[in-house]
Amino acid sequence: MDEWKPNPAIKPHKKRSWYLAWKYKLMNQRALRKLCQTGAVLFLLVTVIVNIKLILDTRRAAYEEEEESAQDYDDEMLNVEVPRHPVSNKKVLDVEVYSSRSKVYVAVDGTTVLEDEAREQGRGIHVIVLNQATGHVMAKRVFDTYSPHEDEAMVLFLNMVARGRILIFTIKDEGSFHLKDTAKNVLKSLGSQVAPFLSWRDMWTFVGKKGGEVYGEKHAKSPALSTWGDPVLLKTEVHLTSVEDAECHWPDTELNRRRKRFCSKVEGYGSVCSCKDPTPIEFNPDPLKDNKVFDVPVAVIAGNRPNYLYRMLRSLLSAQGVNPQMITVFIDGYYEEPMDVVELFGLSGIQHTPISIKNARVSQHYKASLTATFNLFPDAKFAVVLEEDLDISVDFFSFLSQSIHLLEEDESLYCISAWNDQGYEHTAEDPSLLYRVETMPGLGWVLRKSLYKDELEPKWPTPEKLWDWDMWMRMPEQRKGRECIIPDISRSYHFGIVGLNMNGYFHEAYFKKHKFNTVPNVQLKNVESLRKDAYETEIHRLLGEAEVLDHSKNPCEDSFVPDTEGRVYVMFIRMEQEADFATWTQLAKCLHIWDLDVRGNHKGLWRLFRKKNHFLVVGVPASPYSSKKPSSVTPIYMEPPAKEEGAVAVPAVAAAEQT
Amino acid sequence: MQKINKNAVLALLSLTSLVFLLFQLYYYKFYLSQKNGAVFSKVRGSQSGQDSTRWHVVRKFLGLLSSHNIPVYLIDPLILGLVDKDFEQIRSSPDGPSPECKYFCAPRDFTTFALLDKTWKHEVDLFRTAEKMGFQWLKIINKDPRLDGMDDLSGIEIPLHYIFKLASHAIHLVVFYERSGNYLWHGPLRLKQHMDRKFVPFRKLHFGRYPGAYEKPELLLVSIDDLKVQIPKNPSSFLEEMSHSRFLECRYREARAFFQLYPDDASLDAVEFRKKAKSLLHLAALTLNNLGVNFWLSSGTCLGWYRQCNVIPHSKDVDLGVFIRDYKTDIIPAFQKAGLPLKHKFGKVEDSLELSFQGEDGVKLDIFFFYEEDDHIWNGGTQAKSGKKFKYLFPKFTLCWTEFVELKVHVPCETRQYVEANYGPDWKVPVKTWDWKSSPSNVQYNGVWPVDEWDDVIQIY
Repeated sequence: MDEWKPNPAIKPHKKRSWYLAWKYKLMNQRALRKLCQTGAVLFLLVTVIVNIKLILDTRRAAYEEEEESAQDYDDEMLNVEVPRHPVSNKKVLDVEVYSSRSKVYVAVDGTTVLEDEAREQGRGIHVIVLNQATGHVMAKRVFDTYSPHEDEAMVLFLNMVARGRILIFTIKDEGSFHLKDTAKNVLKSLGSQVAPFLSWRDMWTFVGKKGGEVYGEKHAKSPALSTWGDPVLLKTEVHLTSVEDAECHWPDTELNRRRKRFCSKVEGYGSVCSCKDPTPIEFNPDPLKDNKVFDVPVAVIAGNRPNYLYRMLRSLLSAQGVNPQMITVFIDGYYEEPMDVVELFGLSGIQHTPISIKNARVSQHYKASLTATFNLFPDAKFAVVLEEDLDISVDFFSFLSQSIHLLEEDESLYCISAWNDQGYEHTAEDPSLLYRVETMPGLGWVLRKSLYKDELEPKWPTPEKLWDWDMWMRMPEQRKGRECIIPDISRSYHFGIVGLNMNGYFHEAYFKKHKFNTVPNVQLKNVESLRKDAYETEIHRLLGEAEVLDHSKNPCEDSFVPDTEGRVYVMFIRMEQEADFATWTQLAKCLHIWDLDVRGNHKGLWRLFRKKNHFLVVGVPASPYSSKKPSSVTPIYMEPPAKEEGAVAVPAVAAAEQT
Repeated sequence: MQKINKNAVLALLSLTSLVFLLFQLYYYKFYLSQKNGAVFSKVRGSQSGQDSTRWHVVRKFLGLLSSHNIPVYLIDPLILGLVDKDFEQIRSSPDGPSPECKYFCAPRDFTTFALLDKTWKHEVDLFRTAEKMGFQWLKIINKDPRLDGMDDLSGIEIPLHYIFKLASHAIHLVVFYERSGNYLWHGPLRLKQHMDRKFVPFRKLHFGRYPGAYEKPELLLVSIDDLKVQIPKNPSSFLEEMSHSRFLECRYREARAFFQLYPDDASLDAVEFRKKAKSLLHLAALTLNNLGVNFWLSSGTCLGWYRQCNVIPHSKDVDLGVFIRDYKTDIIPAFQKAGLPLKHKFGKVEDSLELSFQGEDGVKLDIFFFYEEDDHIWNGGTQAKSGKKFKYLFPKFTLCWTEFVELKVHVPCETRQYVEANYGPDWKVPVKTWDWKSSPSNVQYNGVWPVDEWDDVIQIY
């Protein structure tokens, strides 16, 4: 304010006498007086102007400020609006589609987006989805409709694709044998004229917009059963629409921005990209009280199966007590789509350059992921390890929270696993029951940092060794007699049917009927009795109260176990030494449980359920529990089937598949 | 007539001028009470305006972060220095209004805060709100060093620094990451090509010239100049820590290249030795840290860190260096208490002191004491049977933090010169036979201990 002070001093004032005296004094010097007056007037004018300017300045500043805050609300609108204009000019895409017995390809604007001429592969209908505004490939699928049920998968997929997308179809080799009417009708509804009449070894290409125009279709009939139709090449033009039309108008939130990014890039995830009623991508499950695993990092090991990863992450993020900040997804390879899925859910993902091949590649990926996890979370004492083809039970974290202290305190434990190898629909019953087992089931498990850092990491199999990491972890050199804790009813479900060691048949036989807990907040009942010594006491108590079954009956028959509920039964099988699993394997086979290698045993004892009764199997005389066998009982011996050469080799390979 | 008119004009003008003066006063008051001074300083730009600008910017910033539940703490060395002087008073009156603006009103270009990475989610919303509040912000990202040591992970970039600027004041927000070895790390501040080099006077920033390593601080909520902020519970020790916090990352890329040339020994023996050496080093670090003795990785252990980021499996011991000025008589009893009996003691405090402790499982821990001269630093060696003395010369060095086998430890900042002095220009080539009396390239014969001193300077247990 200092600078303004002179003002009042200059002003002519009320002190009239002084003013008059001064005036008369200067009367004679008229010129000087005039000058003074003009000076005073000028000064006053300047003061006024400066003041006005100041007021204007202040007002303007205030106005700007207001504008700034007003902009808060306009800002987003403006930002969204701006990029829309330049894109609205229409563009045309040249599309080329080729269909033949041994080769298919699709080129968009001269760029090959699909080319498949591999032999014995890629049979069936290839489908490509393009974004109608950008022309980017959003999904690529092949449905082997020569084989059963694949057409159902195709229908499912086509139904998930958003309206307005551009669909490209082409057949390689054969695509009609198991193409049922439902599927044909779907194709017809997309505008195909030929689809209803597609038959054996026809060649066919089709380009159309879902729910809109048809851009072209070509078809070549197979002249005879033994020959294929002539190759067909369809060339057509597709008009692109504006981005605005291609996008949904969801409210502008952080979540929807992620959704928008995802949905403009990929297709085939169904309602997550639905304009009207999109499925949530944030789940906010109930938090767990006293969650002991809130700060435990979760490593999700993934490959290039983005649809699996999507399903897996949904179930993981819906589990009670999940902490999304602790989740890291490790992707083996520079695949974009899995990363898109990870970003959709707002999680962090890390890509890993593939090292080595097949099993060794998986094994190296595991090592890198585990090391990275403990580096990123240096405070963590444990890590939860999950795979992309698992459903996670709603009480997964509750299960771990209740049991994790055991892993910290009991040196004789190797891991906690959410998976019971023998926990099938007909052999698992009690969600609150836990076991100790000598095998390492994997499929959703907790690893102790000290175990990894001090023992496993330094001697992890090197890339040139084509070992399975899980088989390696099960080896006695690594396991050193330690055991894992598992639940009776699994807290994970293995849904993957395509994978390195996996196929539909194998999955159906060994995984489909696995029991999976869906009950929230299960209170585990025997946690403390799982410590090393307490567990022995517990087993002895169980065996003490168990009723010995009638060993003259066939254990494979249903009648072997009486029609009761909630009882404890025991049977004794022959097991000459620790590694003699001949009878057990036969028993497992006829009980339709995991029989490819030995799982779920604890000192020659297996625990499962039959007809809702707890069912104990003791191997005599190798098991220390053999002493519980009444002398009158002869252990059951089951002969392995007469040798088929192949039968031995298969389990060895298949056993590796489990993870 | 004319005179009256003139007087009337004069009166009118002075009246108007008075009215405007009142207006002016009104606006002035209005802005002081309503606004945060930023607008006002835009108009006035006077010296006194900037002071309150800083205070207002800090207040706005703290408000922004607390509305997003992001806990930050003050690490500005200048303010902490002032705070430290009046620490008792500040601590005793956490809520009392302060009579004058003492700390946040000193005119500075920026104020520095720290943020623990794991306490927040990387929210986009924060920045949107910041923009709405008038902040301009700059994010400095770089590779995540926690994953740098691993082959083949695609480099994940993480935010290392944020700068929020409002009016003429900037907030420097340093992101701290937890790393293996139970310490906090912040990254260097490096501008990328396209970045605005004049966004703030980067050179004047207190953090970011080098990466730094810190202990996890205990925090204290205090009220400074009527602003509630968290500060390190012990500002003076934080400032002390800050003065030598420089951190060196292991040279992972070079280490990988080394292993390409000389594949790692993955034998069981090597794995076992590394495990033992690691646990011995952890134990030694714990013991020395408890005594408050500064130490660094020396000789073979230092070479292992520098060349391959790991323990050299064919080395047979763990080597540490300590300045003789840090020597404490408690060292020997403390190690004995930790289960590491003294194996031998050569030399004396005045000359060529060297201690060896017997670790579990046959791994030896050597502690060499270093003597500082005007232009070099040296440590001594003694041959037990002959009483011969040796001297190992090193160029002068300072100490930096690094991470080694999940431990935050010191190494000489000028590691290359240190290693080269010790192992010569061919230090990159592994040598399995090593004679400590002749192999080092910096060894000098240093006479013989007088026989009557032998009992004292050559003690073997």
